[in-house]
Amino acid sequence: MKRWQTALRTVVRAAASLALAGLAAHTWADVTFDRIRAADQHPGDWLTYHGTYRSWHYSPLDQINTKTINKLEVAWTHAMPHSVRGLQSMPLAADGILYYSGSYNQVFALDGATGEVIWYYRQKLNDELVAKQTHSPYNRGIALGLGNVYMGTLDGKLVAIDMKTGNLNWEVKLLDSEHLTVAFTGAPLFVRDAVIIGSQGGEWPYRGPIFAVDAKTGREMWKFYTVGGNDGSKSDARNTWGNDSWKTGGGGGWMTGGYDADTDTVWWGTGNPAPLYDWSGPDWETAGARSGANLYTTSVIGLDPQTGELKAYHQELPHDAWDFDSAVGEFVLLEQNGKKYMVHPNKGGFVFVYDNHANVHNVWRLVKNINFVKDIDPRTGELIGRRDLTEGEHKNLCPFIAGGISWNSGTYNPKTGLYYKVGNEWCMDLTVKKTTPILEPMAQLNIGADFSLVNPPDGKARGHVSAQDPLTGAKKWEVEFPEPPLASLLSTAGNLVFVPDPRGWLRALDATTGKELWKHNDGQGHNGGIISYKAKDGKQYIAVATGWGGLAGDDYASFFGKPYDTFPKDSGVLVAFRLP
Amino acid sequence: MTTRAATSGLFGALLAVSLSAFGQGAPPSIPAPPRSPEQIFATTCGWCHHRGGREAGKGPRLMGTTLSDAQIVYRIKKGRQGYMPGFEGSFTDEEIKGLVAYIRGLQPQ
Repeated sequence: MKRWQTALRTVVRAAASLALAGLAAHTWADVTFDRIRAADQHPGDWLTYHGTYRSWHYSPLDQINTKTINKLEVAWTHAMPHSVRGLQSMPLAADGILYYSGSYNQVFALDGATGEVIWYYRQKLNDELVAKQTHSPYNRGIALGLGNVYMGTLDGKLVAIDMKTGNLNWEVKLLDSEHLTVAFTGAPLFVRDAVIIGSQGGEWPYRGPIFAVDAKTGREMWKFYTVGGNDGSKSDARNTWGNDSWKTGGGGGWMTGGYDADTDTVWWGTGNPAPLYDWSGPDWETAGARSGANLYTTSVIGLDPQTGELKAYHQELPHDAWDFDSAVGEFVLLEQNGKKYMVHPNKGGFVFVYDNHANVHNVWRLVKNINFVKDIDPRTGELIGRRDLTEGEHKNLCPFIAGGISWNSGTYNPKTGLYYKVGNEWCMDLTVKKTTPILEPMAQLNIGADFSLVNPPDGKARGHVSAQDPLTGAKKWEVEFPEPPLASLLSTAGNLVFVPDPRGWLRALDATTGKELWKHNDGQGHNGGIISYKAKDGKQYIAVATGWGGLAGDDYASFFGKPYDTFPKDSGVLVAFRLP
Repeated sequence: MTTRAATSGLFGALLAVSLSAFGQGAPPSIPAPPRSPEQIFATTCGWCHHRGGREAGKGPRLMGTTLSDAQIVYRIKKGRQGYMPGFEGSFTDEEIKGLVAYIRGLQPQ
């Protein structure tokens, strides 16, 4: 071969290597049902909203640990444009690529090591509708599966975005949001070959459906009405609603549920009934706006992922008269002494412990200031000493409407065996009023009371992060916060619990003792998700959403004052940390 | 037939179609207009304007507001992005006028 031919061959080979290196810099392996089931074998990923199907919000990575945490530093940041009401989403990570959503149904794919944008997607929305919604324009997360990024939209659609290119693969309209106002803000769940998503519901006069859609084609597979079940089926429970109140009953499943692979059951927490406050008082079984137990609101329901059939349920608060949804809570699946359990927090401040068929095993209190019931029977789940409200004034109902527990997830750490969770101590005064649902021309909220936030009887309104046995509630330690944290928690195999606090500090606590080991001021309040993943450089990263302005946080400026009255309400920044 | 009744009829028909498309059966009866400001507060506005508008919450205190009537009407109709939805088209001009009068009449409890 002549010398010039050899040189040319060398140049061509070098050019080909460079091109391949460019492609290989972002390689994708498909996210499948089997891969999510085997998530323990992929500790560098965060493939679904709650981390894995067991919903532990836990990372097995331990490069960042109690010995190295003091060196943790900001690696990169990424700003979500037009981030009205902050950044409330949980990022996902697969093969070193980070995917995350934000307000107005935007999605980014970023290089997990550098934060560099790989692609950007923005949904074309019905802007006129969005401007009329209260629980809007935020988005809490996405699902990955079969080469798609799935997201529910503010105008009632489910979309599938190509994971490699950011192009829209398909979209399907599921809800008539233009008339019903309700839409999707929660992250979907990818299970088997279905994408499951629950609508908003409790505050509005509709029936709060949960949908399953074919993950490949977008064809609707099934729908389950959280209000009254499905008409004419085994789940039909419209007779637990007085008169026609099931037609405007609220409900919904607005946060992401869980999946138990052992029983092939999708578990979902349902929303409260509407109106939120019923004037029936103790005669709730026969009188008031919606007499009866109001199935399946404020319940945990187990559905067949293929058919949507109801397999099992437990109604945590029959005739919920206080807006204490079951929708807020994660389904922590764990095993102890050879028995399987499902731990599920309820908005009222109790944590329910079930077997894997929703039979009550125990109920324990996370929160001190509770008087909407005297107690809940730990053996049966029965409510003891209900505080039902009649028309008129009531003082000091505890907890406040924002809940003793809110939608920010807790975390279970298998190494410590502890469950870490945020609890909120605050109460309310209210005046219950008879209301008529407003349905035309567009459905409006149906709260049923004027109310205001007040301090609890035992002192100032505040929050806490505590570590307890998930089954018994026995507390190991508790750290108090002057205002309730509204972001999700993360724990890791490095024996760390990360708490993104509402004032803007990201804190790392020793998971065993609760001692604070590190903190960083991220510049604005936290009201979203936090994950850990491994990037292509082989390093462990922590990525946390920052950005204030969610509905619960909106009360902080007027009630707590600084720094909340200085926070922007249209700013969302993802901050990623790593060791040097 | 008044414009509002005609509009109610049209929206009622649309609602009936929408609801039956989702397996709802016959829609519930539509309440006779106008809705009182107390009703609108107890269903909707009170979510953000606490104690019936007498106290700040997610939204500002309305009692004693220094906004003019025109400014209040504008805010109710157009909302404020990230803070408040717009209710133009959801509530009638008569209902919005009623809300202004209600706000002006607010006294401490």
